[in-house]
Amino acid sequence: MTQTMVLDIKDYSLTYQTQSGPIRILENINLQIAKGEVLGLVGESGSAKSSLAYSVMRDLPGQVELETGSMWLKGEDLMTMTEEELMHRRGKQISMVFQNAATALDPTQSLGDHVVETLQAHQAASKEDTLKRVYELFELVGLPDPILMANKYPHEVSGGEKQRVVLAMAISSNPDLILFDEPTSALDATTAVNMLDLFAEMQKKIGVAGLFISHDLGVVAEVADRVAVIYGGRIVEVATVDDLFANPKHPYTQSLLASLPRPSDIRNKRGLKVDEGTPPPRRGEVPSCNFSHRCSKHDPAICDQSRVFLEVQGDRKLACVRPDVAVDETQASSSDILPATTDVVLEVKNLTVKLGRTSLLDELLNKEATQVHAVNNIDLKIHRGETVSLVGESGCGKSSLARALVGLNSFEGELRLNGRDIKALDEAYRADVQIIFQNPDSSLNPRHTLETILSRAIKLYRPDIATDERSEAIQKLFEQVRLPAHYRNRYPHQLSGGEKQRVAIARAIAADPKVIICDEITSGLDAAVQAAIVALLRKIQQDTGVALLFITHDLAILRHIAHRTAVMYLGEIIETRSISGLDHAPYHPYTEALLSSASSPDPKTETRQVRLKGSLPVRTSLLTGCGFESRCPRRIGDICHEQPAPMKEVVESSHVLKCHHEIVDLEHIEPVWKFT
Amino acid sequence: MLFLIKTLRALMRSPQGAVGTVLVFLLLLISVFGPLLAPQDPESFNFGSRFAPPSAEFLFGTDWFGRDLFSRILVGARSTVLLAILATFIGTASGALIGIFSGFVGGWVDELIMRTIDAIMAIPGLLLALMILTVLGSSSLNAVIAIGVAFAPGMARISRSTTLAVRELDYVSAARARGESKLWIIFAEILPNMVAPVIVEATIRVAFAIMTLATLSFLGLGAQPPSPEWGLMIADAREHMFRSPWPILAPGISIALVAIAFNLLGDGLRDVLNPHSQE
Repeated sequence: MTQTMVLDIKDYSLTYQTQSGPIRILENINLQIAKGEVLGLVGESGSAKSSLAYSVMRDLPGQVELETGSMWLKGEDLMTMTEEELMHRRGKQISMVFQNAATALDPTQSLGDHVVETLQAHQAASKEDTLKRVYELFELVGLPDPILMANKYPHEVSGGEKQRVVLAMAISSNPDLILFDEPTSALDATTAVNMLDLFAEMQKKIGVAGLFISHDLGVVAEVADRVAVIYGGRIVEVATVDDLFANPKHPYTQSLLASLPRPSDIRNKRGLKVDEGTPPPRRGEVPSCNFSHRCSKHDPAICDQSRVFLEVQGDRKLACVRPDVAVDETQASSSDILPATTDVVLEVKNLTVKLGRTSLLDELLNKEATQVHAVNNIDLKIHRGETVSLVGESGCGKSSLARALVGLNSFEGELRLNGRDIKALDEAYRADVQIIFQNPDSSLNPRHTLETILSRAIKLYRPDIATDERSEAIQKLFEQVRLPAHYRNRYPHQLSGGEKQRVAIARAIAADPKVIICDEITSGLDAAVQAAIVALLRKIQQDTGVALLFITHDLAILRHIAHRTAVMYLGEIIETRSISGLDHAPYHPYTEALLSSASSPDPKTETRQVRLKGSLPVRTSLLTGCGFESRCPRRIGDICHEQPAPMKEVVESSHVLKCHHEIVDLEHIEPVWKFT
Repeated sequence: MLFLIKTLRALMRSPQGAVGTVLVFLLLLISVFGPLLAPQDPESFNFGSRFAPPSAEFLFGTDWFGRDLFSRILVGARSTVLLAILATFIGTASGALIGIFSGFVGGWVDELIMRTIDAIMAIPGLLLALMILTVLGSSSLNAVIAIGVAFAPGMARISRSTTLAVRELDYVSAARARGESKLWIIFAEILPNMVAPVIVEATIRVAFAIMTLATLSFLGLGAQPPSPEWGLMIADAREHMFRSPWPILAPGISIALVAIAFNLLGDGLRDVLNPHSQE
């Protein structure tokens, strides 16, 4: 057995020593990866999936209390090797592709030198041969013009290109095993799918074994042959991709899949399961099954008899003693979104945001300052009780628009709130338009208690609430966002990611606003937590009729929150459409590509592949033609370059798109998804 | 008060924090009660035992006039340590305020302040202090003010750079979007999050302050002989260095101990003041 396996982890356990006692990181891990196979490792944040990668690399960041088991790389036990022996294997036999290519590359070295360095570390060859190999590798990972690329520096290329260089480094020494640690989560959707295609292609070409770690089941479904699901440091289920997604057996896998949005959700009226759960026990007594504290079919008489290990059960390996008992599925929230009203709350016309400040020196020298045209002439209406989602890749100007609407960026154009022209953002406007930021770690002051954070918002916006009634108001806010009342004296860092985001929501609703701008508020969260936050926002909207501007790059979640979506590209809204018609053509060519690149863990849905090449044009000068022209797969010809695309109505006012194509032509395009 | 007790308790948990706290506490005790504890008059001469090595009678030995070094250290602690702390405090507080204001406001105000500070920093600290003393006249208190002013530009730079980093964070954006006043943003949102590096820098500066005070005294602009100020003691003992090392070693080691004590305290404080370390 050991001979044919590239990596064979046998009964591996790891415990770290911390100030507050030992903490179990990994428990009884058994995993095999065969030659040419890609094993996906999926789990929520904190499930120790990266720790597993580090322990395979034999580079543990923590203070090890206890480490048992064995780890065989092609028949050699990594755990008994000396540091020197390991040095020869790292980078040569095992290599790693990191999450963030921007920090994995040295900014003072050219891209070519990165690979040269890796090559020279492991094999002696002449300089010409090495360089030739570098160009070959760059060609292989799909970098255009390798010689030019090799001389560029990391800051001169895009995120996708950086990740390709990291991949080239990883495969340069023909390793036996590559560890991928969330390699696509820092990339834009359209870039990420290209990378996934590339991984799959590389895999076919060089047949290397891979361990692909990700929190995103959809991504893993694209590249892996088999998937291992990890929960709280234990592997709970291992199966082939098709088996796992079609028929998950472990209650944790089931709940994970139930909280993930799918393209078919509108058709099937499927809601998302909301189950944030508490983290698994990592200290103290070893539980028989570490999922039992949130398992709906937990039966102490059966489950707590003895330690539940991963065992072969039919077509898969499973760590559950009651797999055939059905789980109660009624917990899923309903998929119905209440219809919006037709009263316009917030309206912007010809809104333009330019970034970049002119320095005093430039002004004195009469120099033209370079400004970024972040948002160009945008028109947008939001109705009461409505959620408008704003989607687009990073750098498309969606956050600049959000910041302009709350007075953090200056802008030109018209802005109306409840029919009132807003010339300067006054106090009343600030109270009515609230913003929630992407990352609660930075949007909540780490030195303020939750009480301070919320009471400031109440003090500023709700002069009607007397000082001695504030405590009560805070109490009510806690209830509204479903946080326990005793959290009031806690600091933000004592909360989990989902809880922190709830505090940020509470701060926004404290003002009793008309509009809340949600700037990517679910993107850093696990699927189950994301589902819970979305359900909470919908509940708040139902109760208060607040309008939401939901900014995201994740298209899958839209079906569960938004009424309408506006697609942004290069500072312009290129399409506005209702979500209920999202499954049907016509699409703007960019929308089509964006929808196609959202990964889906749904075996019953076939996604048509539309891939974009190239990167965003510079935003310091305005383009004469259509902004998407340089990457458009459906480019007509010179007209796209020379004339700005006209806004065309598909359905009167509710669906408009900006393209030179005739609507009729776009209507005949195949749908992005085929449902079976 | 509750906060103070909590901070102290947290300080005692880390080894460097505990050692630093105990040393600084002892030092403060000596500064206050030193003159009462001194076994002999720090200024009385014992011509029979000039340059005596440490013994039961003279714990740290004696100097060229046969004065008891142990007593001189105990008595001199007050002027040395307290004045150094005061000088550091003046420099830190004024520098931090200038830096945080400049960093937060930005634009041409920031340019103006920072270029002025660059110009001031081009003058060596000691020279600047000398200049200020020439204007104010020589006395211990004026020396303290001069050192405080000389320290301020450096502190301003440090606090400005941390302010610039903190200013970009979303909670400051959130406060601005909320329409908070500038004072609230500076003092409640930014200041608590940039104070840690400033405190650590300040504790290191205490040792510098002692040395600069000594230099000023040596030049005749601070404490005057026969005052047992530590820096002055070293300066005076310079001439007798080759006859006996004790007149230099005793105050030298004392100053080093003070520096170490404050550095340890600074390290401990940095950890304690980091909210993420509070369980």
